[in-house]
Amino acid sequence: MRGWKPAPHVLLLLPAFVVLAAVVVVPLLLSLYSSFTPFRLTRPDTIYTFIGFRNYQRLFADMEFWAAFGRTVLLLTIALNLEMVLGLFLALLVEKATRGQRLLRTIMMFPMMFSPILVGFQFKFMFNDNIGLVNNALQSLGLTDQAIPWLIDGKLAFTSILIAEVWSSTSVFAIFILAGLMAMPKEPLEAAKVDGCTPLQSFRYVTWPFIMPFAFIAMTIRSLDIARAYDIVKIMTDGGPAKRTEILWTLISRTAYSDARMGLANAMAYVAIFLSILFTVMFFRQLAKARQQIGAEW
Amino acid sequence: MNENQTNRLKQQALKIGHLVGLFIAMAIICLPGLWIVLSSLRPTVEIMAKPPVWIPQSLSFDAYVAMFSGVGQGGIPVLDYFRNSIIISVTSTVIALAIGMAGGYAFARYQFRGKTAIFLGFMLTRTVPGIALSLPLFFVYAKLGIIDTHFGLIIAYVALNVPFTVWLIDGFFRQVPRDLAEAAQIDGCTRWQAFWQVEFPLARSGIASAGIFAFLISWNEFALASQLTRSTNSKTLPVGLLDYTAEFTIDWRGMCALAVVMIIPALTLTFIVQKHLVSGLTSGAVKG
Amino acid sequence: MNKLLTGVSAGAVLLMVGGTALAQELPGKFEGVTIDAKLIGGQQYENLYSRISEWENATGATVNVISKKNHFELDKEIKSDIAVGAINWCVGSNHSSFAPQYSGIYTDLAALLPASEIDAFVDANIGASTLDGKLVMLPRAQFDVSAMYYQKSLYADEDNKAKFKEKYGYDLTPPDTWEQVTDQAEFFANPPDFYGTQYAGKEEAINGRFYEMLRAEGGEYLDADGKPAINSEAGVRALNWFVELYKAKAVPAGTTNYLWDDLGQGFASGTVALNLDWPGWAGFFNDPGASKVAGNVGVVAPPKGSSGARTGWSGHHGFSVTESCENKEAAASLVWFLTNEDSQKLEAGAGPLPTRDAVWTWVIEEAKDDAYRKEVLEAFQEAANGAYPVPQSPSWIEISNAVYPELQAAILGDKTSQEALDAAADKATAILEDAGEL
Repeated sequence: MRGWKPAPHVLLLLPAFVVLAAVVVVPLLLSLYSSFTPFRLTRPDTIYTFIGFRNYQRLFADMEFWAAFGRTVLLLTIALNLEMVLGLFLALLVEKATRGQRLLRTIMMFPMMFSPILVGFQFKFMFNDNIGLVNNALQSLGLTDQAIPWLIDGKLAFTSILIAEVWSSTSVFAIFILAGLMAMPKEPLEAAKVDGCTPLQSFRYVTWPFIMPFAFIAMTIRSLDIARAYDIVKIMTDGGPAKRTEILWTLISRTAYSDARMGLANAMAYVAIFLSILFTVMFFRQLAKARQQIGAEW
Repeated sequence: MNENQTNRLKQQALKIGHLVGLFIAMAIICLPGLWIVLSSLRPTVEIMAKPPVWIPQSLSFDAYVAMFSGVGQGGIPVLDYFRNSIIISVTSTVIALAIGMAGGYAFARYQFRGKTAIFLGFMLTRTVPGIALSLPLFFVYAKLGIIDTHFGLIIAYVALNVPFTVWLIDGFFRQVPRDLAEAAQIDGCTRWQAFWQVEFPLARSGIASAGIFAFLISWNEFALASQLTRSTNSKTLPVGLLDYTAEFTIDWRGMCALAVVMIIPALTLTFIVQKHLVSGLTSGAVKG
Repeated sequence: MNKLLTGVSAGAVLLMVGGTALAQELPGKFEGVTIDAKLIGGQQYENLYSRISEWENATGATVNVISKKNHFELDKEIKSDIAVGAINWCVGSNHSSFAPQYSGIYTDLAALLPASEIDAFVDANIGASTLDGKLVMLPRAQFDVSAMYYQKSLYADEDNKAKFKEKYGYDLTPPDTWEQVTDQAEFFANPPDFYGTQYAGKEEAINGRFYEMLRAEGGEYLDADGKPAINSEAGVRALNWFVELYKAKAVPAGTTNYLWDDLGQGFASGTVALNLDWPGWAGFFNDPGASKVAGNVGVVAPPKGSSGARTGWSGHHGFSVTESCENKEAAASLVWFLTNEDSQKLEAGAGPLPTRDAVWTWVIEEAKDDAYRKEVLEAFQEAANGAYPVPQSPSWIEISNAVYPELQAAILGDKTSQEALDAAADKATAILEDAGEL
């Protein structure tokens, strides 16, 4: 009797495999298929019509789609980098505090408690040009006598969305980097001090390499999760006005449900997925590199 | 002597700078939140006023009273939503953590073929935008008859959270020196015992932060919830927020009040879990 | 055989002969029947649902509310159900602007209910609920058409009157034409503290506003052959109305990002002189706890365009019964019950507009001692007389999504009105062709 005994790592990974296959992979195959059909929600029969790459051809020729694509990349890039830098500062500030750590850390995570749709409503009202908090404050302080059209002007609207996005997600970076800072052994820093390093040098050569993997983990998680920004953009501007803030997800969801053209929307979604994969692989590589630097095996 | 003084001054300046920086950062983080709390207490006429009313003239709990009163009197089934949210978030977090611990441990402690590829594969499941997933998932769920059930949403959230619970916990297990567990095993522990008695306590902070994460994501998730839930059987609080919007109107004050009700448990939980985030790290054992 | 069915077939026979029916048979008896229903949620709509238990007691059936969401979420949900073939429920909330998209799943209520009951509704509402000769929904007392709200004090001010007369050569009175709205809006505007008027500037809202303005200017959205005809001269005139006000800064700079909530809050903040808006806000505007203009609100019928017609884009909520419902009679009885006179009185008593003739009479009678409510109702009744729904094309929402960014582009000055409308017409044509409607 030789009972087959799977290796422990197979057993350990099995639950993750099963869940992800059931909830992500199977539905994904379905939507991949539908991206080759003219599937309309309101006409279920259309899912059986196979039209090859028609949807994709259409997309590749559609300037509005590529504009949204470019804008999404831009938003991702700026938001992620800004969040990382701010998150780093925030984590350092909190880590240095000698008292009230618990409270500070809780406050630091405060924005994470806000549902993205709430963040959307909140910033939409704050940036309202007529009765919004921001313009009211600026006018009361005498900084402007104009009603600044925050959500209208292309650049301002992009900035407003960026602010909302950064406000709601910097915490993610901060908490990861803070965790890294706290997990860091103290000796190397002390050694660096003894060796006469300035605080800046010891940050650059001791602290940063150590927390880098954490920062990249946060980066990757955020780049995966940035579709979260969808809820915010949807409520703040819904891609408007005149498509000035249109990003892939607002376009996709409008096409999918409001227009009911699920086939076309799924084709767009697949292009979006490739974009995310690109970002993820990129960060992942950097993470592996960073890990090698601090000598962790991979 | 002189050098000493300048040094002390410098120290002082740094300290003050730090405090000021900290204060400003915290203020920026808190203000929008406080604005929400304030909005839930003020009459609409003051919230949307121009010229603005900076100092609240009248505060009341009317919005909260209305929320808990019956349907038709401005009430929403907030207790049902709350119950659903708690059940779904907590259960999915616990499951995601268990799966994440198993997976993370496998990645951190075992060598096997295709490790990087599998790991990356897990992460990439997260790249799928909810919108691409929502309809096919709905299709599958409809066939299985688990639309508008706790079970359906829990499974979906577990899948949403597993990739990074695996990843995070993997990262923290990596920080725990392998020798510790090996030493324990030499001392006569089984691998199982070594895990629970040596490695788990050290990685606890990581597990706690992964837990906070998973919980907050489930607690606030909207896109999938709005597709997979329908009635008070399973509607969660974020979906309930939209009860305050009608075709042409929005009750911003009511929405803020519900937001406060949503935020308080999340805040409390985070505050409690903080402790574990610290205790795992402060023990000198990490230094080995 | 249950009693209602006989009643209904008898009613149908009578309908052919002479038209009197057996209303006393409603609501009927449906012991043990369970009706699954999807209802629209939201404060304004939920009062009515307390009546469901009365229906349950009267008929012996039970109602199982399987979904309650706002309209856009419900729309998504119903489309998802259609897509996966899961129409396993009986009664659904419906809306005249969304109805053409899912007309196939709903059954003809005229075949299930006595004609006299259907006749008791306002004809225009029944017309807007009828698609291809099929009465797909019964309207509830949630009829929406816009009227012009204004700040009374501005029109009573002697200084304003004199200055206005001097500048424009006619008396300052609440506007009756859209041209007057333009004059007055520019006259009152004092950005950034005060604005003449405002309009909803995005999504189906701006498209709807453009649609009614187009009709008031004598144009049409889809011509007799169903082809988009928005890039006509009337179309340019209609769009220019929005463009000019924006250029003159008579509307808030953010108006192209406003939806209904922003408009309502803006007018309530007292910073806008004129506001074309829905009946749902009437109470809010006059509530001192919610609005700074309380006590100072006047309402007139929507102004006229150059064709002499008033703008009158309208929509209404209703309930439909699915084709796949096992017990259509019971479902129809529930739908009837939720839209009958008592139900409509319950809803209309709180402010929304009714869709039954008798209930219109009733609300106006009720309001006779309340000057503000009376003014509101008179204005909205006048508006209702000139009201019309959106074109009944299943592609309407999709066209709307394609057209509105073009309208915004013109308003913001990225394109001229003609360019924007040409582009919009092209897109709309492509959509109709794709859908096989052209």
